[in-house]
Amino acid sequence: MERHLRSALMVLGIVVVQTAFMPYIAIEGFLPDLLLIWVVYTSLRRGQIEATVAGFAVGLLQDLVATQLFGLAALSKTAAGFLGGYFYNENKTDQTLGSYQFLLIVGVCSLLHNVVFFTVFLQGSDVPLVLTVLQYSFATTLYTGAMSALPMFAFARKAMA
Amino acid sequence: MFERLYTLFMEFREYVLLSFLVILSFILLSLNDKPQVKQIRAVLTVTLGVVQEQVAFVPRYFGLKKENELLRRSNVELADEASQLREAKLENLRLRRLLAIKDRTPFGFVAARVVSKNLTLLRNSLTLDVGEADGIRPSMPVVNDAGLIGVVIAVSQHYAVVNILLNTDFRASAKVQRSRVDGIVAWDGTDIVLKNIAKTLDVKTGDVVLTSEYSSSFPTGIRIGLVSSVTEQEGSLFKHVIITPSADFVKLEEVFVMTKAPDEEKTDLEQKVNEFFTR
Repeated sequence: MERHLRSALMVLGIVVVQTAFMPYIAIEGFLPDLLLIWVVYTSLRRGQIEATVAGFAVGLLQDLVATQLFGLAALSKTAAGFLGGYFYNENKTDQTLGSYQFLLIVGVCSLLHNVVFFTVFLQGSDVPLVLTVLQYSFATTLYTGAMSALPMFAFARKAMA
Repeated sequence: MFERLYTLFMEFREYVLLSFLVILSFILLSLNDKPQVKQIRAVLTVTLGVVQEQVAFVPRYFGLKKENELLRRSNVELADEASQLREAKLENLRLRRLLAIKDRTPFGFVAARVVSKNLTLLRNSLTLDVGEADGIRPSMPVVNDAGLIGVVIAVSQHYAVVNILLNTDFRASAKVQRSRVDGIVAWDGTDIVLKNIAKTLDVKTGDVVLTSEYSSSFPTGIRIGLVSSVTEQEGSLFKHVIITPSADFVKLEEVFVMTKAPDEEKTDLEQKVNEFFTR
């Protein structure tokens, strides 16, 4: 129970940081997705089922505070949590979190997340869909992947200590 | 039966869960226009807005460079615009002064812009952006608000070339406004001089020189300039009178061509008399 409460508080904090601070470090309009990093972290720490539910929950929360399509972040983060769960290995959790593998997993999950997100999000617009989806997805994935280096270093330091 | 279903569910629970949540997400996506959803989102948006307002002082580090660049570009554009407005204001003032002289004289005027200047040779000239199509003919006087500029010597369909005062071929009958002394204004390659002023005649520094009624090319009373120097040369019957022109030829931008045709009857008569005496 305490663990869930702690996770909920952490998610709330991340939502505030994501919505209030991240726009200040946007590059060409692209933002790193801290909530996605948290979902991937959950998938590596807790496994596929918990990560899928967590992805849906934080996605729903993100949908509520964002002006985009309601349910879209829930859908894409559910998919990302589910995919992240495939990399779950309870014996190597700290090793995975504290190494470059974490960046790669974030990258893979982020790419799936962004492809799902932008494919739905750009429906009905006049832009060339495939090209724009790939462009937006790679840009956001790169930024999110780069941002995930910060928790990775923190986990690595913790593992060494 | 239930046991088998339970076993199946437990075996594929991740996929069942995923399918359930994906379907739920799609249902939520279809609920976008529901007022309840809008209400919840409105409350949360306002709450987050308060938080965002509190942290609004955080500078947009990555955006600052771009913003700075935009501001600089905008600054250059505004400076350019301000410069153009200043130019327009000055042009407006000049044109107003030109319009004032237009009101003072009975002749027709055609406004013209100086498109080319040649102020480095002995035969200095201007090219104007008006020509035959605008009613311009050779021998028409050219003036601006300051005074006499020159005379049209050649015309094409849309352009006219003007011999200005600073041209060795230019001549104009002139008189000193104060003492009514007559002379001929000409340029000697260095100064504009008032010729044929006998030593006995009354001409002083500061006198205003105007076109005289003896001129067949120019209307009477157009200001030419001010006498800036009067010297008496030994062995000469005449004074050397130098005039500073009223018009600034270097800054000249707009002028008026006076659509005064030369008095042909007068010109013809004068020519006949000259021919008679020169036989």
